[in-house]
Amino acid sequence: MSSSTVSLYLDPQIRDWVLFPITLVMILVGILRHYVVILLQSSPEKQTREAIREQRALIRSQILRATSSNSPAPPQFYISISRHLSQAFAAGTYLKDGPPKGDAPPTPPNPMDPAAMDGMMAGMKTQMVMMVPQMVIMGWINFFFQGFVLIKLPFPLTLGFKSMLQRGIETPDMDVRWVSSLSWYFLNFFGLNGLYRLILGGDNSADSSRDMTASPFAGNAQPGAPQDFNKLFKAERDNLEFSEGLYTWIGTGVEERVLRNYGKLPPA
Amino acid sequence: MSLSTALERLAKYRTNNTRASQKTFEQGCLILKSGPTTKLGDEGWAFLEQLALASIDVGRLDISDECLKQLAEKFPRSPRVDVLTGIRMEATESPETVLQYYGELLEEDSANAAVWKRRISVIRRTGKLEKAVEELSLFLDTFYTDVEGWLELADIYSSCNQYTHALQALSHALLLAPQNPFTFLQFAETAYTSGDLPLALKMFLLVVEMGERGASPDAPPTGIQIRAWLGVKLCARRLVYSPHVSSASDTPVPKTIKLIDELATERVLAAYGGQKETGSKHVTDWLASR
Repeated sequence: MSSSTVSLYLDPQIRDWVLFPITLVMILVGILRHYVVILLQSSPEKQTREAIREQRALIRSQILRATSSNSPAPPQFYISISRHLSQAFAAGTYLKDGPPKGDAPPTPPNPMDPAAMDGMMAGMKTQMVMMVPQMVIMGWINFFFQGFVLIKLPFPLTLGFKSMLQRGIETPDMDVRWVSSLSWYFLNFFGLNGLYRLILGGDNSADSSRDMTASPFAGNAQPGAPQDFNKLFKAERDNLEFSEGLYTWIGTGVEERVLRNYGKLPPA
Repeated sequence: MSLSTALERLAKYRTNNTRASQKTFEQGCLILKSGPTTKLGDEGWAFLEQLALASIDVGRLDISDECLKQLAEKFPRSPRVDVLTGIRMEATESPETVLQYYGELLEEDSANAAVWKRRISVIRRTGKLEKAVEELSLFLDTFYTDVEGWLELADIYSSCNQYTHALQALSHALLLAPQNPFTFLQFAETAYTSGDLPLALKMFLLVVEMGERGASPDAPPTGIQIRAWLGVKLCARRLVYSPHVSSASDTPVPKTIKLIDELATERVLAAYGGQKETGSKHVTDWLASR
């Protein structure tokens, strides 16, 4: 089939009654979804002082370690902070429920913990808001417009794109430039994010393709996910010791650096 | 002045954290009089908060009450408005009433950092330093990354001559904001006051080193640099004559102390030498004396 001869004529009615409606419906559903998600968002769970203290304890040692090879704190102060943290981590001072008692085996974190469940439910809710309308739209397209050819792309493509652009039409020798209705749906599904960003601003929740990759059960995204802080603290102690070995004070040799800068000492 | 430029300037104050209460108040009143703030959109609320604070600063409590009323209507039970109400109460009510108010807020949400900080500042103001230090330590134990808190703690300690403790608090502030020469300067001056000259010298030199990046060594020092060089000179002139001074932090006295002393003299003179004023004579006299 040569590309110069047009082998297929599309009814303009298809453009007006299929192509535009599908696009319009998808845009509107995305915008609607954005607002529904905003409505569904539950306010973040308030945390107690102890919980925050436990979560942020690791940051203390991370801040200390971050500059340890060029630390602004003089040696005496650095070592006292480092030792203090290390002891506190060993004794479990920062744990929310106080230091662990004796040799009692640590209870495994309960997956049905209400705090964790809340986070999971919020994820599920947004997932549902995404899934349901998309399923309905797909069903609608499949039911009414199955096998429709909607549009012809203005540029040539290789055969590899056939499965992407002509889903739902089983014709082995049709030009790849013709796009089927189902494929048009998928193109919109993945491609409308840029438009949403224009309409709704940067951090909108209208884009559904992004949620496809995120599972509601992925724990790391939720602040309430149970973590064994005791283990983390124990691991952090090694890091602290390691950084203590790397430690140098920036004040070491500062007088020589200043003198050199003013030409009082020969450059090193 | 037109409305939009006033708004723009106020927004700039907000982003730069400029206090400029009088100016904020004058321009804020202009905007407030020009019509309902709801027309300003979301920015209007931030503006109201800013104006409320500024008008408390300049003592126009009626304006701040008006702002607070609008904010409280729009955001009932917002912790931010609660704090603002507390600040407004601090202006007129007795510390006991305010403390009780903050206590109630904290009971509801024990992790509200802003309320907690206000409470500590009120406690300090009533003169109960011991209690303030205790609360502030507890606060910093939870919210370690609060640099202001560490500086405040250092300030309280310094005011009671507890310089070792102040230095410890400041070392945390240094770790949290290692890019800020003013914290280094404060550390150096506190160390100098506590009598730890070698440590103070090193810290003054660090301030000098931080400031001179990108500047030509021939240009006279300016701003914080002058103060740092004066500090270097103060330490160096004493260390030259008594190099075996004791240091609480075991910081060694640099071997090149003579050179540092000379350089500091040179730099201080460079800072003051250009002026034909009385100040320059005092400085030369001071440098010439022992």
